[in-house]
Amino acid sequence: MVAIKLENISKIFFRQPLKRKYTTLRETLLNFSWLKNRQKVRYIAAVKDISLSIERGENIGIIGMNGSGKSTLLKLLAGIYKPTSGKVYIKGRIASLIGLGVGFHPGFTGRENIFINGIILGLSKKEIKRRFDDIVKFAELEDYIDEPVRTYSDGMFVRLGFSIATNVDPDILLIDEILAVGDEYFGHKCAEKITEFRRLGKTMVIVSHQLEAIEKWCDKAVWLNDGMIKEIGIPSKVIDFYRKAIAEKEGKIPLEIRSSEPLRDYGV
Amino acid sequence: MFSNVIELYRCRALIMSLVLKEVKLRYLGSFLGFLWTFLNPLLLMGVYTIVFSIFFRIKVENYPVFLFSALIPWICFSHSILEGANSIIKGGNLITRVLFPAQVLPTVTVFSNMINFVFSLPILFIFLLLFKIQIGIALIALPIVMIIQAVFTMGLVLMVSALNVHFRDIQHILGNLIMMWFFTTPIVYPSTSIPVRLKFITYINPMATLIKAYRDILFYRQFPNWMLLGGILCLGFLVFFLGNLVFNRYKESFPEEV
Repeated sequence: MVAIKLENISKIFFRQPLKRKYTTLRETLLNFSWLKNRQKVRYIAAVKDISLSIERGENIGIIGMNGSGKSTLLKLLAGIYKPTSGKVYIKGRIASLIGLGVGFHPGFTGRENIFINGIILGLSKKEIKRRFDDIVKFAELEDYIDEPVRTYSDGMFVRLGFSIATNVDPDILLIDEILAVGDEYFGHKCAEKITEFRRLGKTMVIVSHQLEAIEKWCDKAVWLNDGMIKEIGIPSKVIDFYRKAIAEKEGKIPLEIRSSEPLRDYGV
Repeated sequence: MFSNVIELYRCRALIMSLVLKEVKLRYLGSFLGFLWTFLNPLLLMGVYTIVFSIFFRIKVENYPVFLFSALIPWICFSHSILEGANSIIKGGNLITRVLFPAQVLPTVTVFSNMINFVFSLPILFIFLLLFKIQIGIALIALPIVMIIQAVFTMGLVLMVSALNVHFRDIQHILGNLIMMWFFTTPIVYPSTSIPVRLKFITYINPMATLIKAYRDILFYRQFPNWMLLGGILCLGFLVFFLGNLVFNRYKESFPEEV
């Protein structure tokens, strides 16, 4: 059964041809740009005509260089962005680990934040109450749960966010480069959680630069380049191609320029 | 329009918890905490009473109560608009990082300000007691007027919050506009001080009618003019409808623009 289906989706970001980032009311009124045709508008196609079908229980890893459209694709899957064209079909409850601890307020206690964050992620109060102990236990914050979150360390903060997000009990899990958070110990715990999700037959889409992780967890890898699928298939093969491409790109930079930089300026 | 309303109803639990957060947050970490709900309007009332009752010598009996009965609904209105205009930008990390219905944000601002309004009513009643003004039966009309104000405010806030994402001048314009609106509405002075030939200003100002209704109920112990209020309710629905139109027009672009 198909869990996610993308049909020719594209995402184009329109950028006004203005120096400043935000247009002002005055400019809009005076430029009459709302009357003129939109030819002057610059656009960036972040995702170009991608079709992809993901089976239930399948784990997909998305790799690619910065700016290749990985995160945009994930946001399209999460429903945060609407595709400019094409269709996204989703079957099941989605949880995204894109924003860990979104809506956390530093002044509130961990307990209060669990409720707020849980509701933001689509849980009901009852569901949160039922899972509350699990969430706290997984985050290992039993002793600090009634302290304000601003007193937490970065690691504690992320742990709590991760713990809530994974306790939403999703059918589809979207993960954006979060495997690198926390210390080694918590990293292992996250890995365990992901293995457990795999065992339970959940669908996962993982965006990561950690190629080993993709190779380890994913059934299929997608290499995005310039908003398009460059390669798709068995992770080890796709990663191989990808590594080769990077090596080629690095090779293009003339060696003499690199070595002419005085190294001590960089504190080496 | 209805799609927004249905969506809002669907996520009422989310709205409730965010409103609660907002109300708690407002006074979090301050020494006097919740007391500021009472102190803020009281201090404002003190200043206006000195300026307008003592310096300008506005001839109104029990001026502090006269003022206060109009000031607290106005504070609710103006804070809703000003905070509401910023609500989507402020909640940016919610819309850009989780699937989050954007219309919840302006709604939360309006609701949390309504709640603050309700919380500041007890001081008004204490003042009524101190000035030996009895509370009339007209008080039962108060919730109705509040609902009318909420509909009207909600429409405006939907509109400005959406526009402010694209045109960030709105928040600066609004600050001045609200100030002008405050002084052209009979709040610190009775409507009788307006010269007859300028009287039309209060007729085209929906807030003037609402404020007068509050004052009728709380200060003069009489029922408000239902005909006029009915008109404001219709206008409120129209503004609400327009607000939804504007909001829906821009809604999809929020995650990209904030």
